[in-house]
Amino acid sequence: MEPVFQANLILSTLLFTIGVLGVMWKRNAISLFMSVELMLNAANLAFVTFAFQLGLLSGGILVLFIMTVAAAEAGVGLAIFIALFRVHRHIRVDEQDMLRG
Amino acid sequence: MFLLIYSTLFALTVVFALGVLVFRNTVKSAISLVFTMLCIAANYLLMRQEFVAFIQVIVYAGAIMVVFLFVIMLLNLREPESPAWYLRGMRYWGGALAFLFFFVLAWGIQVFSVADLTPGAAALEELRRESGQAEVTQLATLMVTRYIVPFLLTSVLLLVAVIGAIVMARRKDEDGRDITFDEDEEGA
Repeated sequence: MEPVFQANLILSTLLFTIGVLGVMWKRNAISLFMSVELMLNAANLAFVTFAFQLGLLSGGILVLFIMTVAAAEAGVGLAIFIALFRVHRHIRVDEQDMLRG
Repeated sequence: MFLLIYSTLFALTVVFALGVLVFRNTVKSAISLVFTMLCIAANYLLMRQEFVAFIQVIVYAGAIMVVFLFVIMLLNLREPESPAWYLRGMRYWGGALAFLFFFVLAWGIQVFSVADLTPGAAALEELRRESGQAEVTQLATLMVTRYIVPFLLTSVLLLVAVIGAIVMARRKDEDGRDITFDEDEEGA
């Protein structure tokens, strides 16, 4: 099982890096958000891998909390995008330069 | 056999995650993300974390991604994705930094000593046998005993998020002005 431990950590790192690349390369706010979800998933994978390796249960609990925070974040963030879209008719993040629109 | 399944899963996860990055169509990108999450759930199953795997499928691949797709289709984002150019050469510098980040982490994992960690499956089986309870029962017990404060704080967070989402996405009147609470009361 030990190779799985290392490989899962590498997989988690890969997913996180892809998420970082997405945040830097995309300009659509929703694509950015999906990249953030990818990074959260990478963190979850690392948590579960360590929990499995150490025979602990706390990893699963942390994953549940992270999922809750991700759901709350998605709800509020997507509401902000809808409000933004009403004003600008687009949600390209590189053209947003107003705090109050 | 296990190794074959695991390597296939590994490859699929990376391919779908890259799909999120390279698809220019936002809907295709979201579908690719759903499949990435399903692959990660399968990975959890291989590590015998059944409850977390089910929650991953139901909450992430089910609920959260449905909200994403809903908003994408609501806003009708037809225009294809193109890279951001708000900083000169950001694409290359950002890529270089991300890969540097990856190599530092991978190096850290390589030198990380697994010798002093308990080998996984055995320890987990041991834990289950001596408590005689399912994973869900143990998680639930932990959740309402040791982690009761974060658990309650989570409920507050969700309440705030619900109210915040409603306030943010509220409708505006014909002039594009925000409908304030006063006007709302007058109208009613």
